[in-house]
Amino acid sequence: MSAPTGRGSDARSGPGGAPVPRIDAYEKVTGATRYAADRTPPGLAHAALAVATVGRGRVARVETAAARAVAGVLLVVTRFEEHELRPAGYRLSGGYGFQSLQPLLDDRIAYRGQPIALVVAETPVAAAEAAALVEARYEAAPAVAVTLDAAGAETVGQAAALPQPMFADLAMGDADAAFARSPVRLDAEYDIGAQHQVPMELLGTVVEWRGDDLVVHECTQNSGAVRHGLARQLGIAPARVRVVSPQVGGGFGQKTWLQSHVGPLAVAARRLGRPVKLVVDRTQTFHGSTFRPASRHRLRLGADRSGLLTALVHETRQQTSRHDLFASDFTSVTARLYGIGDFRGHQRLTRTDVQTPGFMRAPFEHAAVFALESAVDEIACATGHDPVALRLANDTGSDPVTGRPFSSRHLAACLRRGAELFGWAARTPRPGSMRAADGTLVGWGVAAGAYRASAGPAVARLRLAADGRIAVEVSGHEMGQGLRTAIARTVALDLGISAGGVRVGVGDTGEVPQHLTAGSWGTATALPAVHAALRRLRSCLGAPDEGPLDTVAAAAERAAAGRPEAVVEAVSLPPGQSARAVDRLRAGLPTPAGPEYPGFSAFSFIAHFVEVRVEPAIGRVRVPRVVSVVDCGRVASPVTAAGQIRGGVVWGIGAALRERGEPEPRHGGFHHADLAEYLVPVNADVGRVDVDFVDVPDPLVNPLGVKGCGEVALVGVAPAIANAIHHATGRRHRALPIRVEDVLAPEDDRNGNCP
Amino acid sequence: MTDTATRPEHGPSAGDPLEVAFAVNGTAVRAAVDVRESLLDVLRERLALTGAKKGCDHGQCGTCTVLVDGRRVLACLTLAVQARGRAVTTVEGLAAPDGTPHPLQQAFIDHDALQCGYCTPGQIMSALACVAEGHAGDDEEIREYLSGNLCRCGAYPGIVAAVRDYADSARSTEG
Repeated sequence: MSAPTGRGSDARSGPGGAPVPRIDAYEKVTGATRYAADRTPPGLAHAALAVATVGRGRVARVETAAARAVAGVLLVVTRFEEHELRPAGYRLSGGYGFQSLQPLLDDRIAYRGQPIALVVAETPVAAAEAAALVEARYEAAPAVAVTLDAAGAETVGQAAALPQPMFADLAMGDADAAFARSPVRLDAEYDIGAQHQVPMELLGTVVEWRGDDLVVHECTQNSGAVRHGLARQLGIAPARVRVVSPQVGGGFGQKTWLQSHVGPLAVAARRLGRPVKLVVDRTQTFHGSTFRPASRHRLRLGADRSGLLTALVHETRQQTSRHDLFASDFTSVTARLYGIGDFRGHQRLTRTDVQTPGFMRAPFEHAAVFALESAVDEIACATGHDPVALRLANDTGSDPVTGRPFSSRHLAACLRRGAELFGWAARTPRPGSMRAADGTLVGWGVAAGAYRASAGPAVARLRLAADGRIAVEVSGHEMGQGLRTAIARTVALDLGISAGGVRVGVGDTGEVPQHLTAGSWGTATALPAVHAALRRLRSCLGAPDEGPLDTVAAAAERAAAGRPEAVVEAVSLPPGQSARAVDRLRAGLPTPAGPEYPGFSAFSFIAHFVEVRVEPAIGRVRVPRVVSVVDCGRVASPVTAAGQIRGGVVWGIGAALRERGEPEPRHGGFHHADLAEYLVPVNADVGRVDVDFVDVPDPLVNPLGVKGCGEVALVGVAPAIANAIHHATGRRHRALPIRVEDVLAPEDDRNGNCP
Repeated sequence: MTDTATRPEHGPSAGDPLEVAFAVNGTAVRAAVDVRESLLDVLRERLALTGAKKGCDHGQCGTCTVLVDGRRVLACLTLAVQARGRAVTTVEGLAAPDGTPHPLQQAFIDHDALQCGYCTPGQIMSALACVAEGHAGDDEEIREYLSGNLCRCGAYPGIVAAVRDYADSARSTEG
């Protein structure tokens, strides 16, 4: 199923070019795509982990005799020596790990589910059996604190605990005074529970020593950090470590840093002289990697009678671990979603006995915007304004934090187009006023969202092969978001060739340096490097700087002249970044720029319109249709971008109505540590999702005019649903998720309802 | 240990290899398996058929869905020995020998019914059976009968469109 080279039918059909189908879809639907755990090198042994069953304390003794007696067991390790395995360091301290704590180095237990033994055996089933036979005696702490309110949880001010400008509290004007004199005031608290990323692909790693060189097939969004983190852990040169991650089975932030099991696996493989595979079992993934921490938000939002927002105080508290401070950034979006001149933010962190939490799709924006957009809806109700009109009236062209302009901001266009596509004009404002023929309550809700338009340094290498095909290697990872398709389409549109003739390599530290792919900066990071490399290739071939280029003829010409294949490399940096960012890239450290750039700020924007149906007798909420309109600059890959937005909407349905990681207050860890009990949306939970794009290039962020879309997709979905439920039932919900019992619970709301 | 003749009243013990023969994608295979081994582990680790994925190993996610004698089963909850004498179909067995995708696979491509692709083989195998079972009458029925296959990327709208498209064309071909 190879596509022809040369000019294709999909080239240059319009100013933005025709959509290109997902370039790796054929491999994915035929089962040919190889994910990390699909590797089966000869001599492969299989690993499993035994984990702590107490929430805090120390291991007094680990009994491994029964595990060692299992047929086929090769190795049981409960403690690694310091000379063979060192901590990789926490990412916020210049390290590479998702947390500072490296299990299996000492007797401390910091959280339930922390590994206490690594077992390696001939087969997965033998490894699993042996791991289950590992028994430990603990000296458990008398109590654990796993919730924001637990006794023993310690709360610190973030700005004081992390004295760096990026973590400082934001303040513009005098928000407290402005709030006090606002004629319309809302003072409300919002509660967002812990959530887990649960990508369908389990954490999976295959490590293989080839002499002194280590090859790691790892599902990661950050192969550069895995490479450099492992080198630090093992005390070897980074050049000896190659990390390969061409296809990730979903990341959503879970796979952004070095996981705790990879270093131990590499040591085990070296001891055995065999490649070793570990597929972390599903329950263990709930404790073995990061999660979205619980957070709480107190909002004081003031407005005048005309619905103009006058003041916002946003105070937050976010869960972190006892051993690390996972910094929050809730206020940089709430300070900018509307033109509110008087703003004050204060962010705090609460230390609890969990593994260090981390990034999960729209890590802070999902929760922060749930709070703000719920509050804005209440203001609309209280002032008698249409929620869309009120949002349009509070739009702003300049960044309230810096006073400088947004590079582009088409939130108003998103709201207007969304309202039109949804049929918003037919909405009757009074809660409970719309009903379906069967008596079901109908609610229509709206919310806006924003997400910083970040980008980082990247390297792209282009090769023109003798047959005229183009091969690209880029800093970036493909987690399903469609980065490879966006890259192929960019090359195809630029040269006037078929996207199917472009071979795209990503996520391989053996090719080009690899930067963390997260934060919706993947496309805006990789494409400028590809764009720059294309300019180099054209110059190398003596071709004009733009216009169609016959790659087959150019390659043949070079071959006829006896010249080697053309290979060019280019480095790109976002506006304002120096070459130091490239040094960091080569050291496996991320350097995302934005949202503040020299002279401007950059965000992507979205508006979501949601219909809910609420069955009054049983409180069941369904979401039959959603319309989402996005401003992500120029749409680099229309097919895959639309998929991202639909996926974000599905995530919002899960976040609003289903998902909550329930901590176990006595023994630590999470109750709902599998896919039967941690409820992600299923097919039957999702109805119609219509997506549209403003598709206007951003003039400043990069030469392609591209801003991110994967994270903004989720921002605002949950409040749009909550606002729709309010419209259906008259009831405000300020905690997520909103479940049947919440919809049916007796009314205890004091200030959230329209008269 | 492997001399079962000396203890005929017992089956083979855990860890003892047992030779099983079955068909995978039309090809006869024999494998010496641990009696505790799942069909999924045998397909993936012994037969190099890694299309079926492990997403939970507990029958909760559907990424390991394969067909056994035409019925959809969760390969992680099926012991390999249960496949003895049966015909197993995995996602690798659907395309034509020349690589032309099965019409359902093509529909998944056409409707971009995937993102990361990890759940896709399970979705396709499940959808194939869903249509054959007569459970693809309308969108709502498709959603219900494919709700055992999770997709964390949230490609459900595309999956429903692809299955409907395939089901419609399969019906019209039959008609």
